[in-house]
Amino acid sequence: VHTGHYISGAGHLALLVWLIFGDVFAAEPLPFQATDVSVISGAEYAALVAGARAPQSVTEVAQPSSPEITPDAPEVQASTDSETDQNPPQQTPAPAEEVAPDASEIAPLPPPAEVADEAPVLPEPPADVAVLVPEVSDRPVPQAAERIAPEAVAQPDPEALPDPVEQEAVAPDTSGEVMQDPAEATAPEAAATEIVTEAEKPAAAPEQSPRPPARRPEPPVQTATPKPEEAPEAPSNTEDSTEDAVASALAEALAAPSSAPAVPQGPPLSSGEKESLRVAVSNCWNVGALSTDALNTTVVVAVSMAQDGKPLVPTIRMLASSGGSDGAARQAFEAARRAIIRCGAKGFDLPSEKYSQWQEIEMTFNPERMRVK
Amino acid sequence: MRLQAILLVFSVVVSALLPAGLQAQSGPLRIDINEGVIEPLPYAVPLFEAETGDAGGLAAQITQLVAADLTGTGLFREIPREAFISTVTSFAAPVQYADWKAINAEALITGAVAIQGNTLNVKFRLYDVFSGAELGSGLQFTGTTDGWRRMAHKVADAVYSRVTGEGGYFDSRVVYVSETGTKDARQKRLAIMDYDGANIQFLTDSSAIVLAPRFSPDGNRVLYTSYETGYPRIYVLDVGSVQRRVLESQDGTMSFAPRFAPDGQTIVYSLSQGGNTDIYSMNISSGQTSRLTSAPSIETAPSFSPDGSRIVFESDRSGSQQLYIMLAGGGEPQRISFGPGRYGTPVWSPRGDLIAFTKQNAGRFHIGVMRTDGAEERLLTASFLDEGPTWAPNGRVIMFTRETQGADGRSTLYSVDISGRNLRPVRTPDGGSDPSWSPLLR
Repeated sequence: VHTGHYISGAGHLALLVWLIFGDVFAAEPLPFQATDVSVISGAEYAALVAGARAPQSVTEVAQPSSPEITPDAPEVQASTDSETDQNPPQQTPAPAEEVAPDASEIAPLPPPAEVADEAPVLPEPPADVAVLVPEVSDRPVPQAAERIAPEAVAQPDPEALPDPVEQEAVAPDTSGEVMQDPAEATAPEAAATEIVTEAEKPAAAPEQSPRPPARRPEPPVQTATPKPEEAPEAPSNTEDSTEDAVASALAEALAAPSSAPAVPQGPPLSSGEKESLRVAVSNCWNVGALSTDALNTTVVVAVSMAQDGKPLVPTIRMLASSGGSDGAARQAFEAARRAIIRCGAKGFDLPSEKYSQWQEIEMTFNPERMRVK
Repeated sequence: MRLQAILLVFSVVVSALLPAGLQAQSGPLRIDINEGVIEPLPYAVPLFEAETGDAGGLAAQITQLVAADLTGTGLFREIPREAFISTVTSFAAPVQYADWKAINAEALITGAVAIQGNTLNVKFRLYDVFSGAELGSGLQFTGTTDGWRRMAHKVADAVYSRVTGEGGYFDSRVVYVSETGTKDARQKRLAIMDYDGANIQFLTDSSAIVLAPRFSPDGNRVLYTSYETGYPRIYVLDVGSVQRRVLESQDGTMSFAPRFAPDGQTIVYSLSQGGNTDIYSMNISSGQTSRLTSAPSIETAPSFSPDGSRIVFESDRSGSQQLYIMLAGGGEPQRISFGPGRYGTPVWSPRGDLIAFTKQNAGRFHIGVMRTDGAEERLLTASFLDEGPTWAPNGRVIMFTRETQGADGRSTLYSVDISGRNLRPVRTPDGGSDPSWSPLLR
């Protein structure tokens, strides 16, 4: 049983002996550098050390004394200020005294006469007419005769033929011996009472074009001025009071004056249409020349618009302001007004079918993002 | 009554349930304009009419200067005359608004000039073209022919104020340090000029180094620092007579960085003594002084608020250079700058709403503005070296010094709008530094 152990132990022992004495772990010698040295004598070494020592200081530097700090204010000499004894600069003549210019206001200019930038207001065109009936008939009219009738002509018989020589109708007389040839009755040629030349004839051209006029805006609807309502009588009983009140409110609403702002009707502007208007105004809102105070002022500006998308300049007004002084609000409003007028000069791109939606616009100009930060 | 109540409730419920888009039907169309454009306002200024035979030359010069003032602000853009459709033949002629609208002119300036002897009369009108109306009343100025530049500046000031709502600043002056020579041998002397660099006059010679001139509130005097005695001393100079006097100070001390209080009688300045620098005030009539700070750190560059109640200054008491505000009589200051970098040379705006300063951060210098509580800090410039801001009388424009890099670097005056736009150099014949803007001339 122990034979295997003996063999294993002998094998391991032999392996250990080989490893230890067989130079298995012997390392290669590391490379090294050799430096040449010189051998000096003790006297030479002493001379070298003596040369490297710092020289002895021959003088001593006094340390600066700490300055005296006087906590109190320095005493100022009691003597009054004296002129310096230095001569004033020779090459610098005194600046000449300047006379400040006087400022005064100029009388305002008279209002510019007849110089209008806006298109003249045209008179309201006549209302549309569905069919324009010409006043002159297009049927041919027989020209009047140029001859003058010598006398009034009796109405001829319908069958009478015109003939240069008028003659009475002759019927055969059966009673006499002279036989007359039968002849038809004739009438004088057509004649007028006076001579009328062609130049004097009234023009046959119609006074109005038979074509229908171009499309024009609807004339303003005129409403009858509401008559002053009589004071409602006091209700005689409480049962009819509610109905009377509703009827009265309805009557008041219907009788509202025509000058009241019309309530927008129809579909509202889309967000894209609003954004287009906002961008258009923003492109002309120049705050580069505004004061820092005006750049802190928000103004609300109202404007009425014409149907062609142009702002009505006289209607531009400031509704409110916040954040700055009155002067700053005025500057901010003027910048906003310039923006509306400049970019609206050719008309904003707004849908005409939604005119009632943008007939009145309120714009809030907030320069918060434009401030100097 | 019961039926009315029911109808009322019904209408309220229905209106609440309706979509917003449909509810808008009941009133005018409402839109919000939140974004616009920031562009110079286009304007037209036809040549001013010469009402007398010899006024043609001045009329042209005045017209040109008015246009230069307005266009130089960066807020206006002049439409060239070649684009004009109609001409203004007479100052009293009605305006053809359509012709000016066609070239997109939003403002129109007409004017006339007349000369009688040495008296010059300039009048103008301003029109809002798109509104088709005059903007304000016409004005006329009467002065001497020598003062034609001032009269042109006044016309431009009036136009600028009416259009922008800001106060004007064209009829004003700037005192600064004129610099010649290289950096290692620089000659400095005080000079005064119109705000646009014209009419330069020198107030001192170049025998001594001069620094930091500051106008009095009325613009008649200038405080500055000079090294004439070898040490910095504060001088007061009368602009009209060029007479000056030194303010008394104790021997062994250095006085610098003076600035007037709004009352014109008190000044604040820095005094360095024994290695410590603090802020003092002085009545320049009596010479009486008062110490406003007493810290071992360096406190300097004081500047009054417009109402004279507070002072902003710089201090390194926190370990780095920062801005602080204290009461005019002294007291515990309150730090207002907390951003990275170092802050210095604060100047309170004439409008009282902002403080301009110099900032050094990451190897660059900046001119910036912040609210008086330190909020809303905005840096307006950035360069190798920007410093020393001063405010225009209307608090809308800042002038400062910009120095270029290198041994041959040159100092130049620049101006910038507080929006950070319209950065432009101020033309001076030589180099310039340390500008101080006067109030509007009277």
